[in-house]
Amino acid sequence: MKARELAKVFTEEYLEEARKAHQLGKFVAYTTAVSPVEILRAHDFIPIYPENHSVSLITKRLCQSLSEAIEKQGYTSHLCAYARCDLGWRETRESPAGGIPDPDFLLSCNAQCFTLVKWFEVLSRRYKVPLFVFDTPQWIRDGETRKEILNYCVLQLKELISTLEEITGRRFDYDRLREVIRLSDKACRLYRKFLDMAAYKPSPITIFDALIHMAIIVYLRGTPQAVTYYEVLVQEIEEKVKRGEAAVPGERFRLYWENLPVWFKFRDHFNLLASYGAAILTSLYVHDWAHEFEPEKDPLLTLAENYVSGFSNVTLEERADMALELFERYDLNGMIMFINRSCKAVSFAVHELKELLTEKTGIPALVFEADMGDPRFYSEVQVRSRIEAYLETLSQRMG
Amino acid sequence: MEGMFKTFKYICEDPYRLVPSKKVIGLTPVDIPEELIYAAGLLPFWIMGTTAPIKRVTALIPDNACSFARSSLELVLEYQRDFFDGFVISQVDDTTQHMSDLWERRFRDKFFHKFLVPRQLSRPSARFWFEKELHRLKRAIEGFTGEAIQEEKLRESIKLFNEDKRWLLKLYDIKRRSPDLVSNRTFFEAVKASLWMDKEEHLKVLKKAIDELTPSETNDQGEWIPVVLCGLFAEPFEILDLLDEYRLNVVGDNLIVGSRYLYGTCHEEGDVFQALIDRHFSRPNLSPVHDDPFKILNDVTDLFYGSGAKGVIYLHIQYCESQEFDLPDLRRYLREKGIPFFIITTDFQTRHVGLLRTRIEAFRELLLKV
Repeated sequence: MKARELAKVFTEEYLEEARKAHQLGKFVAYTTAVSPVEILRAHDFIPIYPENHSVSLITKRLCQSLSEAIEKQGYTSHLCAYARCDLGWRETRESPAGGIPDPDFLLSCNAQCFTLVKWFEVLSRRYKVPLFVFDTPQWIRDGETRKEILNYCVLQLKELISTLEEITGRRFDYDRLREVIRLSDKACRLYRKFLDMAAYKPSPITIFDALIHMAIIVYLRGTPQAVTYYEVLVQEIEEKVKRGEAAVPGERFRLYWENLPVWFKFRDHFNLLASYGAAILTSLYVHDWAHEFEPEKDPLLTLAENYVSGFSNVTLEERADMALELFERYDLNGMIMFINRSCKAVSFAVHELKELLTEKTGIPALVFEADMGDPRFYSEVQVRSRIEAYLETLSQRMG
Repeated sequence: MEGMFKTFKYICEDPYRLVPSKKVIGLTPVDIPEELIYAAGLLPFWIMGTTAPIKRVTALIPDNACSFARSSLELVLEYQRDFFDGFVISQVDDTTQHMSDLWERRFRDKFFHKFLVPRQLSRPSARFWFEKELHRLKRAIEGFTGEAIQEEKLRESIKLFNEDKRWLLKLYDIKRRSPDLVSNRTFFEAVKASLWMDKEEHLKVLKKAIDELTPSETNDQGEWIPVVLCGLFAEPFEILDLLDEYRLNVVGDNLIVGSRYLYGTCHEEGDVFQALIDRHFSRPNLSPVHDDPFKILNDVTDLFYGSGAKGVIYLHIQYCESQEFDLPDLRRYLREKGIPFFIITTDFQTRHVGLLRTRIEAFRELLLKV
């Protein structure tokens, strides 16, 4: 079976299991895309990601109508489009995926953003279920402080485990956790291998492939299915490489993308860029799940190390260094910096990040502002003409 | 308003007129233990934005970022750079976390410290973390001044800050009972000035100002209607003028420049650091994040019922995401309980509140019918 077919099968099985969770003696936990989900998996909580569901709503172009449904209740259009879609769906029940089951428990990790904490607070009130906030202080560049941050995070993970034990009335099984982490580690390393295939010239994949194939690492990490999926995917891409297939024929521009994608313009952006021989190859966002766990370590420590240090929780300088490492590894020669109105946590530093990256690489950048989900904040003509002008500039630079 | 209160008004009009005799450390609200900074011989000075035009920040952060954050960053970058000798920025959410990176890069020549406050409060680990951060802050300040902070100095500092807050609460009590004597604006100016003045000086002026008053012994609210004021900041202060004009007497609040600050006193005996830690976890109506998401709603209803108010006025800061997630549920919750609720959206960059006049008048009319 091809990776895409496998993804469909595994996703259907996963959602079916979540819908029948209570019949199976399991619980449903909503969690954030970057969170120590391994602990949930090891204790028979099926993790459900409202963010992922919101992406499916956005790609079906439902964001505006769902937002409008909750704006009537007083929510503003400035809030995260994921949150607006999710809260809107809970009013209209309009979902191509058939929706997601209600939660028994909520786990929110603020390494990704504080928005998710506030969004999950709303859900906690709505469903009257407990919310656990896994607080991850900024991963500042100071060795001693980092040790203490890890101690704080490990303490919290122990508190999380106690909370789950209270809900289920069962003792937590640390051996099972080690096994789940081993599976997560294997899948994450395969996922990284897949992402790194964008280093080939020409690249067999673009970020659009990465964005499609990252879904499984988000919601199935810690399972054998995720390992199988990425083994198959890596093999498929290796075969493409052997055949010399380029994702963008006549590849000239190898671009970096900052931020989450404009989900509802996904295909249009790919086509527009490809017509100029431009391929967006990577971003820090897709690398956020390329974890490297150390299964032989204290399991709570390796979880803490990985989940506290994501790109949105490091300092601006470290984030720039992480991006520069991608520029080098993938031999990039352009960058598109998206200021995403929905995602303030990631967008806050984009202007400054652009300055830093241009200063270090000498590569000019395109900066544009829009919303990842809401077409009311997207100007087709403006974005298109700016992308075209930018690619012209890059052409002239390359001679 | 008479006498010594004019001092507070004068300072609130432009706190940068002050000529501090100590090095000035700018703080972002609200969790930073300023007593520690004061004990080191420094002047803790709250950064509260500016009404001056935004010039530089537009090119740095998105225009839908919190109005308070934009205004505060503008203040230090464009208008008052030289006033400060250093900064302590409290990371309470995404905005403060990411803004502190931009801030730090532009003040390499000054003392800069990120205070990584716990963003959960209900579990034992939060206490563990706050203690670590408190000691890291202490070490950073000592590194800046070159001198150890003496325990006795810290105890004195705690006592001074406590006393100032007790006197402000005494003033609040007078204001609740006699709003004709102490208006909303006068009271909140006294609180705000305390965030900028040297505490000794503030306390001296405050005591004299209160001594000059002859408050009524009875609850003499006359035609004033008691209300609760919720949110973060009462900005611009011209809003308070409107409340005064329409005889809406603030008898309870959960504002940062208000009760969240004033009720944050420390115990004065025993371990001084434990006192600062205990204070952090015992402030009433402090609602950043809790494991109990209903606390945000219940705090407001408790304030309403506890203060004998007739309605709740909520001050929403433009683009404050945290408030924007809370507000629809809060509105629904209060409506279900039959509590009159009125939302005012404000912006740090404007002082024009005339458009609110009709709405505030209508709210007063509504309260008269309750």
